Amino acid sequence: MSPHGSGEPPAPARGEPAPVGEEPRVLDDYLRQVMAEIDDEVQRHRGEIPVQLERELDEMFLEHAPVAVRGGDLKDALGMVDRAAFVDPVVPVSSQRPAGAAVKKTLRALSLWYMGWVTHQVSTLGLAVSRALHAVDAQLGELRDRVPPPASTRVVDEGSSASWWVPRAVDALEDARGRVLHAACGDGWLVDLLTAEGVDAYGVDPRPGKVDDAELRGADLRREDPLVHLQAVRSSSLGGVVVSGIVEAMEPARRDQLVQSLLDRVGGRGVLVVHSVSPAAWAAEDAPPEADLAAGRPLRPRTWAHLLATWTVETVEGPGGEDYLVVARR
Amino acid sequence: MRVAFVTPRYGRQVVGGAESAARQLAEHLVASTGWHVEVFTSTALDHITWRGELEPGDEELGGVLVHRFASEAERGRAFYELDGRLRRAPTLASQEDAERWVDLNGPSTPELVDALCTSSADVAIFYPYLYYPTVRAIGQVPMPAVLHPAAHDEPALYLPVFADTFARADALVFQTVAERQLVQRHFPVASRPQILLGLGTERPPAFRRKGGKLLGLGDRPYVVSVGRVDEHKGSKMLAAYFTEYKARRPGPLALALVGPVAYRPPDHPDLVCTGMVSDEDKVDVMRDALALVSPSALEAFSLVVTEAWSLELPVVVNARCAATREHCERSGGGLWFGSYLEFEAVLDRLVADAELRRHLGRQGRRYVERHYRWPVLIERYARFLEEVVRRGKIPLGPAGAAGGPGQGGSRVRWSAWLRPPTASC
Repeated sequence: MSPHGSGEPPAPARGEPAPVGEEPRVLDDYLRQVMAEIDDEVQRHRGEIPVQLERELDEMFLEHAPVAVRGGDLKDALGMVDRAAFVDPVVPVSSQRPAGAAVKKTLRALSLWYMGWVTHQVSTLGLAVSRALHAVDAQLGELRDRVPPPASTRVVDEGSSASWWVPRAVDALEDARGRVLHAACGDGWLVDLLTAEGVDAYGVDPRPGKVDDAELRGADLRREDPLVHLQAVRSSSLGGVVVSGIVEAMEPARRDQLVQSLLDRVGGRGVLVVHSVSPAAWAAEDAPPEADLAAGRPLRPRTWAHLLATWTVETVEGPGGEDYLVVARR
Repeated sequence: MRVAFVTPRYGRQVVGGAESAARQLAEHLVASTGWHVEVFTSTALDHITWRGELEPGDEELGGVLVHRFASEAERGRAFYELDGRLRRAPTLASQEDAERWVDLNGPSTPELVDALCTSSADVAIFYPYLYYPTVRAIGQVPMPAVLHPAAHDEPALYLPVFADTFARADALVFQTVAERQLVQRHFPVASRPQILLGLGTERPPAFRRKGGKLLGLGDRPYVVSVGRVDEHKGSKMLAAYFTEYKARRPGPLALALVGPVAYRPPDHPDLVCTGMVSDEDKVDVMRDALALVSPSALEAFSLVVTEAWSLELPVVVNARCAATREHCERSGGGLWFGSYLEFEAVLDRLVADAELRRHLGRQGRRYVERHYRWPVLIERYARFLEEVVRRGKIPLGPAGAAGGPGQGGSRVRWSAWLRPPTASC
């Protein structure tokens, strides 16, 4: 099976350095296909191994695996609780000494009434805990079925250094006191511009592969969802934030969360710059179908002024009314 | 530029772990940049006791000036008693208990802290987050502080005392995305300057001997697992999985466990346990293997995986190990398993599909060349440190902004998932 078909470039000979090309932007398609085939193979062979043996082998796998990490879920934890819930009072009696087994057997017989009484209560507690956790798991499952998972942040407008609003944004931020965040930063074009102006800027972008090259060049760019990133930023620690290309299609609840995070994370005398496609451009005949299908809609400039009521807000409409810029100062 | 590393142990005798990584970074920095690099550390080699095995004072090691300070106390019973109590519910530990935990964890070296604070270094680099020298010095140093947390999802990370340690870092260096995510889940440090660095990997030495011959396997095909043979590293699980695999798939395939033995698996005709071998033998054994298996779920980076990829050797990793799985997903150079049946299917596929093995090996090697060759890594790190020094210490709560509106020209580009505007729009 060839991963690339006949078009694959010749591989370097073993022992020679491989060309330093770009690594896969997302999980390698070929690897994804192989792992899917491996999953199919696993399903085909399920049931071939005695249940008890398979359980023992899987327990061995879980024994030193942190439950909280990727792939670890409540089901795994519940499995461990279930396996540990029953306490067996009938202790093993095998022994390497000649009379050991007989002595142990006698001791077990003598103490079984007592041990049985204690272990019964412990097992009852274990089973009650297990049952409660299974109930929680079932309710969580129902909730998951009812509530769709929040969509990750989508980037609508890439932006570029030639965009009309960029000089205004740079101008507004050039005296920022503190770090300036750009979300979503793409390949770091605005971070580069801000850095050239002496601003301590960094960026996050949720899309796979967008920041990789710039990150290797040494720019402080990270592949992170802006909302997740802001949750890990200390209050009032940012000198400014530029938000571009992400607020238009955002679900209202997530947009509210974003606004609240921005209000909290930008420090005193900080600057918030929001660039958005206008509602008119979004509703235009020639807007792509994705505009209709998106979970959210762009806000009007005055709505931003309302949301940032305690700040000094200036809004500027772009050429042709297709987009606008909000510059808010705390 | 004058750089000061702070690490609880330092020396060629310290093998593996964060301290070994710190030494390699320090020595490569000196070699590549010519900067003045010094290290502030204890006289201990053993991280269990912090017993002073080396002389206090200064020595030069690999071009690095090392200042050693004796620990005021060895780590003893009081620490383990407190640790045992706190690790059950570390988030509920009082600040006082957590502070005491740090003092008892050691190595308790107040002289090191004083010396560091009066040194002429431009930047102080702390490695890792967990020990007394980092916790006690990071908030006191007058120069910018860079923290390499080397953090795991362990009870200590949840102790309240470390919130201040992370908050005092002027910049952070992570080994993997998984480590960054872990740290940012616990501490609000996302806006601090960061770099994803990892560990450097040397180019493999030239071929010397056939791996099968070294292992006594002749021409039999084999897979290899390199590193401490230890139950906690997944070796017991791997041995059991491989034994079951061979019961279901009789044939010539063997497994070689290469490394110091803390757990000895049951004897099996298809299983070779070599014990410690030289670096050259290790490379020869890896070079001729069909694949490297990394069964551990608790790796922070796994140099062995990047070494295997240097040899274009495909890897198989534990699906629960955030670091090694991240390597595989980013590079496309390895497969992973989360159960016995997955292990079996992965091994079946790798043994049968030489093209897949070649593809994975090449992808892995490309990834290592791009990210983890020492010259690439040191260049990025040096640039990052220069930026940190230029930026200076970051106050905990900045404020302020100014500026006015400008003017400009071009149209919005609906370029990411909306179509670009047409002439008519």
